[in-house]
Amino acid sequence: MRVIFVGFGNLGRGLARALLQPNNPLQRQGTEVKVVAVADDRGGVVDEKGLELGKVLETAEREGTVASLGRPGLSAVEVIRETEAEVVLELTPTNIRTGEPGLTHIREAMKLKRHVVTSNKGPLVVAFRELSELARRQGVQFRYSATVGGAIPVLTLAKRLSLGDRILAIRGVLNGTTNYILTRMEREGLPQDIVLREAQELGIAEKDPTLDLEGVDTACKLVILANATLGLDATLQDVRVLGISRITPEALKLAKEAGYTIKLVGSADSKGLSVRPSLVPLDHPLAVSGTLNAVCFELEYGREVTITGFGAGPRETSSALLSDLVEVSQNI
Amino acid sequence: MLVRVEMELEDKPGQLVRVLEPVARFGGNIQSVVHLREKKTPLGRLPVTVVFEIPDREKLERLLETFRGMGIRITQVGEREWTAKTTILLLGHVVHSDLQKLIDALNTMGGVRVSDLSLAMRGPGMESAARMSLVAESSERLSQALSLVEEMASKMELLSVRVVGQ
Repeated sequence: MRVIFVGFGNLGRGLARALLQPNNPLQRQGTEVKVVAVADDRGGVVDEKGLELGKVLETAEREGTVASLGRPGLSAVEVIRETEAEVVLELTPTNIRTGEPGLTHIREAMKLKRHVVTSNKGPLVVAFRELSELARRQGVQFRYSATVGGAIPVLTLAKRLSLGDRILAIRGVLNGTTNYILTRMEREGLPQDIVLREAQELGIAEKDPTLDLEGVDTACKLVILANATLGLDATLQDVRVLGISRITPEALKLAKEAGYTIKLVGSADSKGLSVRPSLVPLDHPLAVSGTLNAVCFELEYGREVTITGFGAGPRETSSALLSDLVEVSQNI
Repeated sequence: MLVRVEMELEDKPGQLVRVLEPVARFGGNIQSVVHLREKKTPLGRLPVTVVFEIPDREKLERLLETFRGMGIRITQVGEREWTAKTTILLLGHVVHSDLQKLIDALNTMGGVRVSDLSLAMRGPGMESAARMSLVAESSERLSQALSLVEEMASKMELLSVRVVGQ
């Protein structure tokens, strides 16, 4: 299976390292993965016979780009158009307003009948329906497990549940950063800014944590989850979003005294899509702590099914990307 | 209102029917009657518990008067406890807000009541937090009350935090 990497930052390199491991999931099922091109924002390197992935990785880590190995200035779109491959891995950074550059990469790849595996939420938040239909028309597989829930197979579970039951509502704690912050604030009684700084030092929160704290990241994941499992055609504008900035240790204390904790919960139900801090009973399955994520499906027959695990981080994302690659290879 | 009346009847035929007739006459809608023959009192009376819906307090008072006039011994009268309950947090400058107006609005809605209010304050000039417990006669009434809280809270620039799924 020939694969093109588009985007070679932390996630791309993390996946490359996983593919270099002996006995990785693809090897275990007998699929030989040949990386034929790697493109980043400064250039691209192509070898139809298969790149030496270890060397590419080393260069990228040393120089911050793969350009020196190939052609500086070579664009990702050119790489996609000019390289024969079965799969395009779209791993560029998320832009939630335009979906670019990922949106263009995915469209190009699908038009050329390449299967697409992505970790990029942007294109899915902006053009979910368009991309799903394009994939269907072109007869290609389009997989995006890594965009929601990281290593947790949320979308796979949802699909399975939809087979014999009906999903009435989805509620999820979908952002590890905010969940970590709320957990620490609750346990230590510390104000949000101090806990945020701690999270940044630990690498749990980004330097600019705005999208996490304001609930936008949760909203993106909710849009993808709702579109993929409830058949909606929602975009970010359809979500009422409130973040955690006004949650204080006092609020958490009052909640706890009454048997609740506060979580940033994304909900898709008959009332629509919303993200907001919510009181969650301490014994509720969504009351997960630290950087854990949890998603609860409310079903017509099966009552409730909840899945929990670690939703973010390069290793967790690699796990999701590998699963998608294995599935693609099984269905080629 | 839903009312629960415990009384003691003489152990003679026709007593229960005698009691139930005025309930209907005052517009009551009987929901359950529990007649405990095995719990006879030392004076040989039988305890009976009747639960019924009655339009208002005035009719209830008149009904109880009627019972007493009939020589029936009433041992306890209670409004049945409302079962729909929830908790909501209000965050922001709660102390300087029109919290009293919000509570008044809820209490005058009917069928819903603020059963508890707790405050936590951080320091002068800083945002504080309030926790409000609500009880209502039905889950529909409760969700109407929550909508009212949310609407008024947002006008007061308070963030309301509801229980997930409610």
